[in-house]
Amino acid sequence: MAAADKIRDGEILLEMKDVHMLFGKVIALAGVNLEIRKGEIHSVIGPNGAGKTVMMNIINGLYRPQQGEIFYKEKKINFLKPYERSKLGLARTFQKVEVFGGMTVLDNIRLGRHIHYKSGIFSGSWYFGKTAREENKHRAFIEEEIIDLLEIEQIRNKPVGMLPYGLQKRVELGRALALEPELLILDEPLAGLNLEEVEDMARFILDINEEKRWQVTCLLVEHDMGVVMDLSHRVFVLNFGNMIIDGTPKEVQNNPEVIKAYLGEDDLYSTRK
Amino acid sequence: MTTTFLPCGVYHENYIQDHAWWQTKFIKGKMLLLFFLLFILIPLLADTYILSICNQIGYTILGAIGVQLLIGYCGQLTLGHAAFVAVGAYTSTLLILEFPWPAILLNLGLAYPISIFIAGLMAGLWSVLFGLPSARVKGFYLILTSMAAQFIIVDFIITQYVSQIGGRGQAFSLPPGTIKLGPWLIDSDLKVYYLMILLCIICIVGVANIMRSRVGRAWVAIRDNDISAEVMGINVIKYKLLAFFYAGFIGGIAGSFWISNLAAISPEHFPWSWSLWLVGVILIGGVGSIHGTIFGALFMVLVMESLQLMVLPLADIYPKLLMDFLFIKEAAFGLAICMFLIFEPNGLAYRWWQTKNYFNLWPFSY
Ligand SMILES: Nc1ncnc2c1ncn2[C@@H]1O[C@H](COP(=O)(O)OP(=O)(O)O)[C@@H](O)[C@H]1O
Ligand SMILES: [Mg+2]
Repeated sequence: MAAADKIRDGEILLEMKDVHMLFGKVIALAGVNLEIRKGEIHSVIGPNGAGKTVMMNIINGLYRPQQGEIFYKEKKINFLKPYERSKLGLARTFQKVEVFGGMTVLDNIRLGRHIHYKSGIFSGSWYFGKTAREENKHRAFIEEEIIDLLEIEQIRNKPVGMLPYGLQKRVELGRALALEPELLILDEPLAGLNLEEVEDMARFILDINEEKRWQVTCLLVEHDMGVVMDLSHRVFVLNFGNMIIDGTPKEVQNNPEVIKAYLGEDDLYSTRK
Repeated sequence: MTTTFLPCGVYHENYIQDHAWWQTKFIKGKMLLLFFLLFILIPLLADTYILSICNQIGYTILGAIGVQLLIGYCGQLTLGHAAFVAVGAYTSTLLILEFPWPAILLNLGLAYPISIFIAGLMAGLWSVLFGLPSARVKGFYLILTSMAAQFIIVDFIITQYVSQIGGRGQAFSLPPGTIKLGPWLIDSDLKVYYLMILLCIICIVGVANIMRSRVGRAWVAIRDNDISAEVMGINVIKYKLLAFFYAGFIGGIAGSFWISNLAAISPEHFPWSWSLWLVGVILIGGVGSIHGTIFGALFMVLVMESLQLMVLPLADIYPKLLMDFLFIKEAAFGLAICMFLIFEPNGLAYRWWQTKNYFNLWPFSY
């Protein structure tokens, strides 16, 4: 784990400081602190309803916390809207796939690159010249970097709403990657997939994180302990709004409180059936 | 409906070909035939009655494109589009009648074309104004705010104030010779027809192009999932307002075009039922499809005309029928929409797509 130590000394990409989030009387987050360093896969685990999705929504700006601060590359981003945060290099996938069902796979991925396109209503209506060149350039990128990587050549012209769930999740990942993010939030990317699809998806996440071309920092919310412990550099354990521990997979597995929270599952590796 | 199946043996070698509209020689040939029909055959063979029907179809298309863009592509329900058509018509009329045009522009026949453009801008801005609530409300509530456009713009501002300009009373008459496009005086159904074809092509091409570029994709994304769209970097409010502007702009062009076909305009030309009618056009033609807009307009105008032709002979026997025709027409309209929603919810465009693919893939259509 020498590589992990090196990452741990690296630059802090995202920082949450004492973040509180309440929905009426429900305390979803009660003072959460999180540091994500460049290059790592940082997982967040915890039981259902622990507040993991709320945490992700706060990071990408869908929710505003009542208290606490969020920094991205040392810049405070509390008041930035989601679309402004995406321009800083933040992308995400959702727990329940949120694709554009009526658009084709290609168009979904093209839309992921929205911030890299330039054309407006006039040049778009005219199309020839500038816009045509731009479309062509990005099409090449999408084909070579994303469609190849995710192995979705066969379905590129299919409307996403018609695809099976597993492929929709893959397209959603492709769309997020198309933004060329620095920090990628993956909210339960493996939920609802079959074994083969889980293996594929885990491999994609590893590729995205490790390949020289991408080197994307990942914030991963996942229930599959086997995958979490294998992939992550660090694991953050959340229990109903409170952090239990934030450490290496080994530290987490040996933590008595974590073991208690996952009581009855003596071996964390066996949670997947 | 976005997929097209290419005939066996046709492959693309680069992305430009794959993103082109007309992907095979066969389709290019068909488009040539269509142009031949539109520019040569119809003008040559059609009498004024047929031409006037064509012009009505064109006007319906121009009006419905904006509705298609808002409802079909951007998911913003609207039921007040006739108001922006009215803004265009009145802007253009007022500019032509009241504006002190420099003599050169008048001589070159540029007054009307310039007024078309300004009418588009004006209608676009009014549309944005009434699109502002879309930042906050969706669906049913947006329908109500868009209906407000109709009542405020047409029934109040235009009827009460704009119509009084120049002290002409209710209607503005457009004397012959006022509408000139370059060297051509638009004074016959045939010339109106050519103007209609020109404007329809410009607007359809513009919309088709924008829909395959950045802005159009953002609109569809907002329609399908506005939260995802925002997270992927789209300023949702800005793009919704852009959609309202673009739709209003084309609505304004529609209105501005229609005055070339009228001897006088008055607020009654832009009733609320026209807004409803335009929504019916896209429901029947197919929501979210440019073909659908065209098919819907063809269907609506042709069916209503044939209905009229059928009623006329009967009117000798039952004179009351003629008086009630308006109601018959509206009942038929309602019936047509119900039938389509039940039996062909994807609209005529879907049928077209199926038929087309059947022939493209023939004889191996599986
Ligand atoms: N928009 C919301 N309004 C009210 N309560 C919410 C909202 N979003 C989440 N919550 C509550 O916050 C808690 C944490 O939810 P969530 O983050 O979705 O859990 P999970 O860790 O399973 O992703 C739950 O009790 C949930 O009911
Ligand atoms: Mg969740």
